[in-house]
Formats: sequence, structure tokens, C-alpha cells
Amino acid sequence: MSGVPAGQIAVPTARRRLPRGPGNLRQGWDRLRRNRTGFLGLCLVTLVVLIAILAPMIAPYAPNDQSAMLHFGAQAPPSAAHWFGTDRSGYDVLTRTLYGAPTALLVGLGAMLIAAVIGVTVGALAGYLGGFADELLMRATEFFLVIPVFIVILAVVRLFGVVVIGTPLEGLPFLKLDAIIVLLGLFGWPPLARLARAEFLRLKQAEFVEAARCIGARRRDIVFRHILPNALPSLVVVTALGIGSAILAEAMISFLGFGDPKTISWGQSLYFNYQVLRVAPWAVLAPGMAIFLTVLGFNLLADGLSDAFNPRLKQ
Amino acid sequence: MARRLVFALVLVVGVSALIFFLINAIGNPVDMLMADRPGTTDQAIAALKAYYHLDRGVFWRYLIWLGSVARGDFGTSITFNQPVGPMLIEYGLETLKLQIPAILLGLLLAIGIASVAAVRQYSRVDFGVMTGALLGHSLPGFLVGILLILVFAYWLGIFPSYGAYSTLTPLWGSSLADSLWHMVLPLAMLTLFNTATLTLLLRANMVDVLRHDYIMAARASGLPERRVVFRHALRNAIIPVLTYLGILFGLMLATAPVTESVFTWPGAGFLYINAIQQLDYPVIMGETLVVTIMLVFFTLLTDIAYVLIDPRIRLE
Repeated sequence: MSGVPAGQIAVPTARRRLPRGPGNLRQGWDRLRRNRTGFLGLCLVTLVVLIAILAPMIAPYAPNDQSAMLHFGAQAPPSAAHWFGTDRSGYDVLTRTLYGAPTALLVGLGAMLIAAVIGVTVGALAGYLGGFADELLMRATEFFLVIPVFIVILAVVRLFGVVVIGTPLEGLPFLKLDAIIVLLGLFGWPPLARLARAEFLRLKQAEFVEAARCIGARRRDIVFRHILPNALPSLVVVTALGIGSAILAEAMISFLGFGDPKTISWGQSLYFNYQVLRVAPWAVLAPGMAIFLTVLGFNLLADGLSDAFNPRLKQ
Repeated sequence: MARRLVFALVLVVGVSALIFFLINAIGNPVDMLMADRPGTTDQAIAALKAYYHLDRGVFWRYLIWLGSVARGDFGTSITFNQPVGPMLIEYGLETLKLQIPAILLGLLLAIGIASVAAVRQYSRVDFGVMTGALLGHSLPGFLVGILLILVFAYWLGIFPSYGAYSTLTPLWGSSLADSLWHMVLPLAMLTLFNTATLTLLLRANMVDVLRHDYIMAARASGLPERRVVFRHALRNAIIPVLTYLGILFGLMLATAPVTESVFTWPGAGFLYINAIQQLDYPVIMGETLVVTIMLVFFTLLTDIAYVLIDPRIRLE
């Protein structure tokens, strides 16, 4: 007590707060950083993002530079001038692989953005409203789950390419890649809807939501400020997994020859160079590795995020 | 049960309707065909239009198609000029010839590997198995196929790189040996993915199950470890894996296009890719319907299997 004037002690001000511990995000980040595989996933994803942004700066050649064709330099093995060799069209394989990154991310993020908006809306409505709406929406989800998505998308993408000519769609500035992204999103939402429903069902009955309701919080605030933020961690995990699958799906569609010939994508490179696999394996292996590492990165990141933000799941 | 069956039927009809309308919303079958085939006579176009009932609305055309499918008539393939039904069976069997052994082999391998890993949880063996399984699960199947072809067909020259049969003379004069030899690489590719994914699932379940009291009770009663693991633990650990097995079986034809393009395998996926390239409308409709039926059928079968295997679960 020495040294403190008596009058200044026992006056707790209303504004004084308890010292705050690290927030949820901070705690999650710390857990993610310590998780070896999760951190590896984060590194891989960061690398892909960096490459996607920096591709025009770090690529050694222009993406459409086919000059190697002129001096019989197509399908040339890796050398000092072309680190990953050149492919059958005379493109520099390293350049094309770097330029594939923005396309892959565009597909993954675009498709999952669409899927997340639909899935979370459907799941949230079903879980929060319950009753007849729940029954109806979940039956619809089940319906979309049994659509053989991949082969339907293949057919639709192919038909789009043909039929746009001579129809009212003809005048549209049409890109096949956009169609692929939209289709992957439109058919990719059911898993997210199921998860969102389960989370909303669980959180609807949580005590803090009950408390919010008791103090008269508006429904909009309950849904958007109390339930949604708490459902977000699990949703982000499934979305990250979905980004990987969407990238893989686009690669397979392109590999089968139904991709967008106007864009540079890893699947497209595989498709063009698969026939010369025996002569120029590097032209296939480089984009193949890029697909593998990207998909692996998102899978590991999802796994790490799941451990970091849902520690209760891991006993 | 009856309710389930009715819902399954509704699903199949609904999905086929959706695909039908989706395709017809983009363009009708005759326009699609003509887009790639200039110089067709007006007469032929008129005959085709009559054949596809283009004078009626989309909804009527769907009902007509559904009616003929119900009678077992899938129409005639445009590129092959053969009835689609028998073609789907012929090509489908080639696909199943690869997919069924790949799933069964994957399951067997996964049971062995996952048991070993789960019993020695957090050991070096377990870590190795988990790393391998995670890599195998993340490796896209078609890349594995490409690598297998590059190494075993091109560099080492052991296995053929394409097809299901030799074109001229079969290997060693025996068509069975020839056919099996062609199956090795595609089978390896499919089995690798199935084994990796099933191992991940099974190990997680095994680790969980091995913690239960009844395992301790079994061990305490002096049963040999092998019996504890394979009789008591495995039986319970495998139940949640059934769902995934059902999906694998249900997707056998749906995942075929990629596998069969890599290995030029004359199966349902190959047929389908060819059909969309050539815009062979009856084959596209027929195969999407068959794939949907398979998905729904195996989902239903999984639900029934749960009830039969696990007495704690009942159908609603």
C-alpha cells in the first residue's frame, strides 16, 4: 500500500477491461504455424498466389512466344535458355507453367465463390428455418448430389462451343473458361450446403445465440453476427478443399480436350503435349507437377485449418 | 424402404430431366449435328427432325424419350449406327473390368496397411503410411497414369501404353494373358488412388476404435492380437468406410472418361468422350442416365448395407 494515495485506489472505472488474451484468429494462426503439414500447405498456396501475381515479371519469355519453332527448337530438352525445355508448339514450358497459375486460381476461387454463396445460403436457410423449408431444401441438395457433375459439365461445355454460333448467344463476348467456372460453381455447392445446415442447426441452439435472442437482437444480427462467424471456420475448410477439386476438375476437362483454347492452363498444356509424351516428357511433367502441388497445397491447407480452427474436433 | 425406392426413382427421373432440358436449352439435337456437318441435304435434315420429334415442345420430347427408355430403347447412336443400349453394356463391361478389381484390390491393401499403421500409432511406420497415403490421395489419377506410361511403357518397355487388347496377334498367343497384360498399368493407377484414400479413412477409424473399452476387454481376455485387430477392431472401423465404398462403386462409370483417355481404354468413358466430340446425342443422354442410375443405386445399397451390418442403425 505504500506510496499510493488512499483516495486513488478503490475507484474501479466502468471502462476498465480485463486484459485480453490473443483472439481466435491469432490462436488459430499460432496452431496452424506449428502444424507441419498445414504450414507446408500454406507455403504451397502462397507460392502459387505469388507466381500468379508475378508471372508476367518472372517469366523468361512472352506467353505466346513460339519463336523456338523457327530454328527447329520445338520439343527441345531442358537447357540454359529454356529451363524446362520447349513444348511441341515451341512455347517455353517454364513460361507456360508460370502463366497457368493465374488461370488455376481464377477457376478455383471463382467456382468456389459461386458454390459458397449458393451453398451457405441454402444450408443456412434450411438449418435456421427448419421444418418444411429444411425438408424441401435438403431434398433439393440430395438431388444435386446425384448429378454426375463431371460428365454433365463436359457435355455442356462442348455443346456451348458449338451451338453459340447461330443463336442469340452468338454476339456475347463468350469465353469457355467462364462457362467452366460457372458450371463448376453451380454444381459444386451441395457439400457446403449440408455443412452449413449442420452448423446452423447446432449454433441455433447454442447458449450465446439464446442470450442474443433474449436481449432482443434482430434476426439479421443473430444470423450474420452471431451464427455465421462461428460457422465460418468449418465452412472455410470445406471451401479450401473445394478450390483444390475445382482446379483439378478444370485440369481434367482441359486434358480431355474440352477446355478453353484461348487461355493458358495446365490442363490445356497436358492436352496439347500428351501425344508427344515419349519425345518431350518435360512438356507434360511440368504442368502435371504444377497441378499436383497446387491441389496438394489446398488439401494440406484445409487439413491444417481444420486442426487450427476446430481444435475441438481433434481430441 | 418403399419410400426410399420411390425417392430414388424420382431422383433418377429428375436428374435425367434436368440433363435433358440443359442440353436442349443450348440447342436441339439436329442443330447440334448440323453445326459440325455442313452439306447435309434438306431431306436428311427433315428426316432427322421427324426422328427427334422436333415438331413437338421440349417437354413432350423428354416424355417420348423417357417412354422409349422405359421400354429399353435408348435410340440409335449417330456415329456407330447401332442401338445405344447394347453399346453401353459392351463398353460398360470393359470399364467394370478395370474398376471392380481396382476397388476390391484397393480395399484389401488398405485393410492391411491401415491395420499395421493404426496398431503402431505415431510410430515411424505410421508416419510413413500417412505421408504416402496423403500423397497418393492428392496425386491426380491421370498424372499417375501418365507417369506409369512414361516409365513402364516408354522407358522400360514392359507394358503396352494403350488399349485393352493387342491389335494383331495377342501376347504369347493367349488372349487372356494379353488382356491381363494390358490391364496392369490402368489397374495400378486406379488401385493406387483407391488404396491411398481408403487407407486414410480406415486408419483414422481404426485409431478411434482401438481406444474403446471393448478392445481392452478383448485383449484382457487373452485373445491373440491378430484376432483383436481383425475381428474386433476392423469390423467396427470399416462401417464408416462403407459410404465411401458406395461412392466409389457408384462413380465407376462417371470417373471413367479420364482414366480411359489416358490409356485409350475402349470402355464407357472412351465411348462418352467420343460421343461428346461427335455430338452423338442418344449416347450422351443414355450414358448420363446410366451413370445417374448407378449413383442412386449404390447410395441405396449403402444405406441397406448399413442396416444389415450394424444393428444399431435402422431405416427411418
